[in-house]
Amino acid sequence: MDKINVDYMLAIEEPFLKVPLEQLKREARQSQKLAERETQLVTSGLADLMKKQGSLPPEEYSRTLDGLIDKLKVLKRKLEESKQEETLLINRSKQRAADLNELSDFTSATQPEFQRWSRTRLERVLIDYMLRSGNVNTAKQIMEKSNLEHFADSSLFALVMSTERELREQHSCRGALHWCAENRSALRKIQSSLEFELRLQEFIEMIRGKRNPEAIAYAKKHLITWSDTQLPRIQRAMTLLAFSPTTTCLPYKNMFDVARWDGLAHEFRMVIFRLYNLPSQPLLHLLLQTGLSALKTPACQSDDASEHNRNCPVCQTDTLGKLAEGLPLSHHSNSNLVCRITGEKMNEDNPPMRLPNGYVYSLSSLTEMSKKLGGMVKCPRSGEMFMLKDAKKLFIS
Amino acid sequence: MDSLVRDCEKLSKHQTASMNKTLASIEASIRALQHAQTDASALAKAHAQSQQTQETAAEQLKELATNVAKYGKHVERTFKVDLGVVAESRAFEHKAGELGRAIALHFLRSGEFGLARSFAAEDASLAEDAGLAGAWGRFSAMHELVAQVHARELGPALAWAQEHRAQLEALGLGLEFALHRLRFLQLIEEGEPGRALAYARAWFPPAAGARLAEISHLMGVLMYARRLHASPYAALFDGGRWADGARAVAAAFCAVAGDAAASPLAVSVAAGARALAVVGKVSGLLRDRRVEWSQQDELPVEVPLPDAMRFHSVFACPVSKEQASRDNPPMALPCGHVVCRASLDKLARGVRPGAVASGRFKCSYCPQLVTMGDAQRVHF
Repeated sequence: MDKINVDYMLAIEEPFLKVPLEQLKREARQSQKLAERETQLVTSGLADLMKKQGSLPPEEYSRTLDGLIDKLKVLKRKLEESKQEETLLINRSKQRAADLNELSDFTSATQPEFQRWSRTRLERVLIDYMLRSGNVNTAKQIMEKSNLEHFADSSLFALVMSTERELREQHSCRGALHWCAENRSALRKIQSSLEFELRLQEFIEMIRGKRNPEAIAYAKKHLITWSDTQLPRIQRAMTLLAFSPTTTCLPYKNMFDVARWDGLAHEFRMVIFRLYNLPSQPLLHLLLQTGLSALKTPACQSDDASEHNRNCPVCQTDTLGKLAEGLPLSHHSNSNLVCRITGEKMNEDNPPMRLPNGYVYSLSSLTEMSKKLGGMVKCPRSGEMFMLKDAKKLFIS
Repeated sequence: MDSLVRDCEKLSKHQTASMNKTLASIEASIRALQHAQTDASALAKAHAQSQQTQETAAEQLKELATNVAKYGKHVERTFKVDLGVVAESRAFEHKAGELGRAIALHFLRSGEFGLARSFAAEDASLAEDAGLAGAWGRFSAMHELVAQVHARELGPALAWAQEHRAQLEALGLGLEFALHRLRFLQLIEEGEPGRALAYARAWFPPAAGARLAEISHLMGVLMYARRLHASPYAALFDGGRWADGARAVAAAFCAVAGDAAASPLAVSVAAGARALAVVGKVSGLLRDRRVEWSQQDELPVEVPLPDAMRFHSVFACPVSKEQASRDNPPMALPCGHVVCRASLDKLARGVRPGAVASGRFKCSYCPQLVTMGDAQRVHF
């Protein structure tokens, strides 16, 4: 059983490769659009200039041309930046794929290389957890200690945190709206209404600030574009103009509720995670939930502390054991017996032996003990002494 | 996976080529426009060049985007588990404190005190966690001892082992002797056979009971004190013994303090790495039936775990396939076969073939005739 099921371990690593991939897609798309637009503008600018060339004063000609040259220079600079960013993302993707590729070389879970790999995996899972929960310094320290910058999606989470903070604490949609504008087509594809919710919030804030004319102008410009899908809500928003922020009338009271900002922050996080194919929970949560469940047995929950094993994570009653409360127990269709004295597996090679009091230990542990006790064995749970020869072998199928 | 690495290498080449061609073409346009600045008759040429740049950029960057998308498809094909169906936001609700403490303990036991400090300062859930103070002191003492062993300074570890002699013995750990052995070999290696002998005379006899053979083997090394590395004892002086000694000290320290031998967080995550894909596959199916995997009493499938991650005996009745429990405990028959009590009751009632009158019935796994009274409850 010390074999490693590489396929299982690989199957869960999609987000690890997906984040740099999505960032790369975005970068490539943006530079493509930018280059198309700018080169087209320059070409048509030149065509224009050719038409007017004869009638244009020389300084006008020269100024127009300078403008076009500048445009190209700016484009060149931006594409160079883009190239650099893309190179970084491709390298990062390659390093991550190479790390996962190492898995296929491992044959046994006890191999030191596999254990080193697992330690690194734990570190990157912890970095992800720290970045998601805003413990940026701790995340940075783990990265620096183990040189794992290329395994961390720091920039993505920094964006999430700063945008959320702006929404929650400064009650401003600026960053979130900017992000929506940059990702409009992707958002449309997943039918997200995040941008509408943000626009609606800005509209509500105008009414709260008693700037009704401004609010109406804003609605004309930004809300009406959503009329295809959000008409009833736009109508309700317009009705809000008739209410004051202190109203007790539902649903208008709820629309004025400042808790809406927290909801927007949460919504922003969910949408950006969806675009990057990141699970809504940190990978650490998923691994712990399934891992603790796979380890959990009825003994871990027993009130009788002697049933607990100090090495078992689920038996850590004030930490992981608490987390495991309410999770399903592991499933076993076959017996798996572990010797209480040595922790070794009991099977045909090291059979379970029943003492006359009904307690069962492995043959090897009892034999070892009897050498020290002159042919006797002592049951560690009841304290009774027996002769080794009175222990009876059990057959477990 | 190998092919994904190669994909990235190919992509990297394509990207460099596409970007370089595009940039070179833009540069050519800039030069052409600059030329038109001094020579107005070159404007048509500049326009042509700009048209060409427009085409090159469109073509090259489109190709790049296609290549990126191709790599993306490959990534998507490689991973088959949708983690979204496993994500269960309620499972750890209001348990941030416990999780934070588990992480902090992991840092402490790994000797990462700087990380623990930074995490405790940063994470809101740990603000008033007094329980960590004890662990802090305990694990710094442990790492102090371990560091000394790595530095080949055995005094503190020995003092600790002597102080905890009774507990170590009860746990069946021979740490003290292992440390004396290390010290004895160290004195020999330092060219002090006289001191080594005196040391052996002082410390080996009390341990002689169970270790006489090992001690006599060790004493033989004195004969080779001047040419250790050409002696049959050369292997004893392998540098790895210090790391082994340090590990033994850490293990004994954890055992005495009641701490787990391996980081519980690391063990759980390693178990999760094996379980997540399994649970992911079935939870997709469960969700179709509007059932959450995490809301069940028991996982619907067995997760294969290595023996090192099995901490408790689990007895599954070979007849009913059910897991034994307090109400349905395992019962051993005189022949040594074990079934759960419920299955035994059924056998005795003659629900299954093999029942005989007079309360005697046949074991399910061998021809032996037994009675209910012969069965004994066993505890694994």
